[in-house]
Amino acid sequence: MMKQAAISEREIQAGPATERGELSVVDRSIRVPVLIFFASGVFWLIVASAFWLLASSQMHKPTAWWAFPGVAWLSFGRSYPVFMNCFVYGWAACAGIGAGIWLLARFCHVPLRSSLFPILAGVTWNIGLAIGVLSILAGATAGFQLLELPSYAAFILFLGLLMVGLWAITMFWNRKPGPTYISQWYILGAFLWFSWIYATANILLTFAGAPGPAQPAINWWYIGSLLDLWLTPIALGIAYYLIPKLVQRPVYSYKLALFGFWSLALFGGWTGMTQLMGGPLPAWMITASIVAKVLMLLPVLAVAANYHLTIKGSFEELRWNPVVRFIVIGSMAYTAYAVEGSLISFRSIGQITQFTLITVGHNQLGLFGFYSMILFGAYYYIVPRLVGRQWLSQAMVMAHFWFCVVGIGLLFFDLTIGGSIQGFALQDPQIPMVAVSDLIQPFLMVQNVAVLLLVVANLIFAAAFALIFLISAPVKYRAAAVESSAEATNKIGSEVSVA
Amino acid sequence: MNKLTGLFFGVFLLFGVSWLAFAAYPYITFAGLQRTKDEATGALAPPGNPGTADQGARVYAANGCFYCHSQFVRDKNAGSDIDRKWGKRRTVARDYMFDRQVFLGTSRLGADLTNVGDRQTDPQWFYRLLYNPPAVSPESVMPAYHWLFETRAIQGQPSADAVKLEGKDAPPPGYEVVPTAEGKALVDYLLSLKKNYPLPEAPEATE
Repeated sequence: MMKQAAISEREIQAGPATERGELSVVDRSIRVPVLIFFASGVFWLIVASAFWLLASSQMHKPTAWWAFPGVAWLSFGRSYPVFMNCFVYGWAACAGIGAGIWLLARFCHVPLRSSLFPILAGVTWNIGLAIGVLSILAGATAGFQLLELPSYAAFILFLGLLMVGLWAITMFWNRKPGPTYISQWYILGAFLWFSWIYATANILLTFAGAPGPAQPAINWWYIGSLLDLWLTPIALGIAYYLIPKLVQRPVYSYKLALFGFWSLALFGGWTGMTQLMGGPLPAWMITASIVAKVLMLLPVLAVAANYHLTIKGSFEELRWNPVVRFIVIGSMAYTAYAVEGSLISFRSIGQITQFTLITVGHNQLGLFGFYSMILFGAYYYIVPRLVGRQWLSQAMVMAHFWFCVVGIGLLFFDLTIGGSIQGFALQDPQIPMVAVSDLIQPFLMVQNVAVLLLVVANLIFAAAFALIFLISAPVKYRAAAVESSAEATNKIGSEVSVA
Repeated sequence: MNKLTGLFFGVFLLFGVSWLAFAAYPYITFAGLQRTKDEATGALAPPGNPGTADQGARVYAANGCFYCHSQFVRDKNAGSDIDRKWGKRRTVARDYMFDRQVFLGTSRLGADLTNVGDRQTDPQWFYRLLYNPPAVSPESVMPAYHWLFETRAIQGQPSADAVKLEGKDAPPPGYEVVPTAEGKALVDYLLSLKKNYPLPEAPEATE
């Protein structure tokens, strides 16, 4: 009863009668699968946090008792890939799929006849990842970066991906006729790209036994595409929906949005090889990646300008809105990430930074500062609409926000400064390797502190997520909603695309 | 035009080019690599790996060595690798043609291992390092890999490959620390890491 009441209360503020009727039916029909993916995301985020803290402690002090020296399955060589896999395929992928299918269903205006497929996909994905993570802990890794999951686990994950991907395409096919919006393109594109890269990278590397020298090329083509054509379009699709929604204005320029999408599609697959600068690959591969990294500034600046011009003028009144905060910080991190990415891909700079902590900090800026922040914003927006309750405590949301911002800021600057020192030291052959380790020791300690802050942030987030299911917020919060201006009309997107 | 068809074609066409360039092209061309023959000595390069190398490479992967150690040498104008004596020349695709799995690595918290089997030829050095890194290199931040060893009672003669340990690492009297099959495979693999033969496409750097 409680739930029903809460939903209809918000619907009163929504658009025309037919519109809001449809909306709540669509939302209700997709509730269970989205929440399964969202809950899985939170679960894996916590598992990832535990291993992140372990791995960063081990980097800082490998002999301390809390680094579990001598325990094979908790050693750095396994805790680190487990952290990365739980973060990327657990948290990032589950949260992204959840938000993605929610967005697609909303835009298609068609209530689901059956949510069996995405539910099954969620279960399959979790089983595959759990098997894969246990295999890595047991030492049965595939041994390729970000493709550590052994072939049997990767196969199960792919089945899950296929189920949810095909289901999404079917839904798009059967959508209510009318114009489409840029967010749909981003999300559908992400599903198509990810299915392709995940399948071909795994097949070429494990089943088809790629020749040795080809493996790094395939591996880094995969990693570049994973970041630029799976995680990035999901986050951009979400932001392109939520920003206009929250400021109650259409996106500043829809042409710019389309330009951003197609230029991302054009350059996104080419960015991976810069990590292998000076490596045993034909020079043109590296050069192509450097060019792509620089050209990637086009879609990035298009998106940044579009977001900025859309939100301009409304930021003051929305600055206390947590969804806006997370998304604005995430978008800023995206610009910073792309600019840094193109800088460190130049050969003159890259030869100093390529093996250092700078690349670690760069990846975290992308994975946490950009992607996760936008997904946190998406959770804060979507979950109350599906559960029919408000977030229990504003203070908790704000605490989560500040722990994230301070944590990722500290982590990034620490690794960037430490990595620069490490890079210049490595470049000087007179400085022995142990002396280089000594130089970065203080930075590894600060990294440990920063990771601890981010782990606390993740715990607060997980607690808030659990509490929304357990406790119904007092009525007074419901009016002063987490985002007060929210549910204007669902047509912002469609109206614009006509123009 | 149907939007979905357009999206499909656009997305796949644009992206397919990068797939052809970075996945399909190296897959096909690198499968056709051939060894070179030195006209004077008749030696083939690269010479190929010992039979145990693949097994050791699995242990190398399982323990995540490649998260801190790289396995490629950059040219003199692309980094300090050659000055650091990690190799006399840069490595090229042909160097890796016999490797079942290639671990180029992207971090150098530890030293590059392309030619570690050339720098260190004593298995004992590797065993002592893996058992307790600070014993070999006092300020090392490398973790210890105790699970690649077992401590057992000496049966008759001490084993030939028993690890020579000193101080607090030394086993109690009557016991010895020996590498497990995995530990031996890993050290065999590390000893096999030497790309010290000449290749025409990668001449040694001159001052």
